[in-house]
Amino acid sequence: MQYNQRARWSDQVARAVFFLCAILLVVIILAVIGFISSKAFNIFFEHGGTNLKTFFFTDNWDPTGVNDPTGNGNPGFGAGGLILGSLVITLVSVLIVIPLALGTAAFFTEVAPRWLVNFLNPLIEIFTGVPSVVIGVLGLTVLVPFLSRLLTPFAQSLGIVGATAGFGWGAAILVLVIMILPTTLSIAIDALHAVPASVREASLALGSTRWQMVCKAVLPAASSGLGTAIVLGLARAIGETLAVELVLGGNALPRNLFSLGALFQPSINITASIAEIFPETSGVSQDAYWTLAFILLAITFLFICISRYLASRSVYQ
Amino acid sequence: MSLQSASPLLLPQSERTADPTQRTRRLRRLHFSNGLALSLLWFVTMLVAALFVAIILNLVWTGLPALTSPAFYGTGAQGIGPELFNTFYILILTELFLFPISLGAAIFLVEYARQGWLTNVIHFAAETLAGVPSIVLGMFGFLVFSSDAHLSISRLAGALTLLCLNFPLGLRLFEQALNTVPRELREGGLALGATRWRTIRTVILPSALPGIVTGLILTAGKIIGEAAALLFTMGLFNPANVFTLNTGLASDTLTTKLYYLKGAGAGSTGLTTAQETLLAAGISAVLILLLLIINITARSIGRLIQRKLTAA
Repeated sequence: MQYNQRARWSDQVARAVFFLCAILLVVIILAVIGFISSKAFNIFFEHGGTNLKTFFFTDNWDPTGVNDPTGNGNPGFGAGGLILGSLVITLVSVLIVIPLALGTAAFFTEVAPRWLVNFLNPLIEIFTGVPSVVIGVLGLTVLVPFLSRLLTPFAQSLGIVGATAGFGWGAAILVLVIMILPTTLSIAIDALHAVPASVREASLALGSTRWQMVCKAVLPAASSGLGTAIVLGLARAIGETLAVELVLGGNALPRNLFSLGALFQPSINITASIAEIFPETSGVSQDAYWTLAFILLAITFLFICISRYLASRSVYQ
Repeated sequence: MSLQSASPLLLPQSERTADPTQRTRRLRRLHFSNGLALSLLWFVTMLVAALFVAIILNLVWTGLPALTSPAFYGTGAQGIGPELFNTFYILILTELFLFPISLGAAIFLVEYARQGWLTNVIHFAAETLAGVPSIVLGMFGFLVFSSDAHLSISRLAGALTLLCLNFPLGLRLFEQALNTVPRELREGGLALGATRWRTIRTVILPSALPGIVTGLILTAGKIIGEAAALLFTMGLFNPANVFTLNTGLASDTLTTKLYYLKGAGAGSTGLTTAQETLLAAGISAVLILLLLIINITARSIGRLIQRKLTAA
């Protein structure tokens, strides 16, 4: 009897401890959202701050005032350029990743022979874990000089002001492609694996070729899973920091924003700006960075909600 | 199947025709587009695979000169001794929090909780946290652990930030591990009159061990590779007495050192650019090799334990 009681008691304790562990997760995410949003709007209300219009629609970002041309140290809080930079590199890199990831995933699950799958599987898994700073340094030492050599002869026709060193959105997009391709690819492969064999058999039995089977039966059946893969790729891309920071190399938007050359001149985005200057800030200038953090948080939260919605719609889990 | 013997039913109704030459031509077009599309898929995949292999080989190859010089492992300006120590230190410190907490949360979700609103809320929280950019979590850690909790820029603040960052991943991996345990084992334990906790300890955890060890190793890989979250919570510099277990020290890791060398501190490290580049290549190669080792051990340890358990 006594043994029974003690056993039941320890079961209750264990249950409570495990419950606390699980609840800690909810506490952490609420704390992240709570703390960051509590600081996010200070900049719009305090003395020396700014207003919404200036914040979102101008591009003079200099919260510490070190780059003020008048030398008075007047800060600038125009985050429009940073936001534009993040959106451009995220969207373009995902547009490049979509065909690569879907093509490779379709090949991987529908066409590839067994030995090739055994080779590619660990390769994708390893690449998912490559630290972003390593890819950034590789971009800096290999990709940036390469772009510079490649583009210098065309600098005039691309509308590049002065010589190009290869830094900029173009390099950041290519680095982001490398960073998010493995993640998107492995989720897309899971989505295609979830499509039951009966769908393929039905399609083949109706006389379709293998390609018709892939694009008319398997891909549509997995569409919401593939959508999740793309949305999570977007979420990853917008938050990617160090890899992008190392190859952006600028502190303002390029002057010729509406030409192809703008992609290959030093430029800015949200995360790089945070990584570079946030630790040196305090007071009002730091509050400006909390607003940026809140924007990133809100965008990724939106992406997660979309991916959950897509996942809830998918027929095959 | 040969083109001539194919049935006209292979074609959509609108294209069915009695004319055999026209039928053959259409079928041939179909097979041609099939071949073309499949070779395109081959090409894309080979391109991606070649890219991955080339990057890994390039990193290891350019790092080789640094890896073979003894000074690289020392404590001098061109050595990574302190960073290696810090990386493994922070790995162990983080796992001390991360492993029990995320395993506990996974046990609660898989073994105790009923599927319902609570598990939904926790899974949604996990997905959201997994999506938060690591730089934002770094700022959060700076605000909460370094400033509000007065841990300052320290290893402990870094480890707690890494806990927040890797909790969702740990939870997912350990949940997977526990879900591989067959239902019959649980029912067997409970039917013998054991409490749920005793069943977990004596039956479920041992049989989920391969998955748990694999999960532990994979989270270790993520911790070693993280940099952005540590920039504001653990700093970029080492104190003089770095080889201690003091959790209050600021210190850098392999990844943050790499960032400092080529990013924030390029040109101010007291090294020539060539030396900086060589050191950076060496650190990249070390990180890639660690990652390879981690992946290979995760796979083989899982298999090894599986074999031992099933043979015994």
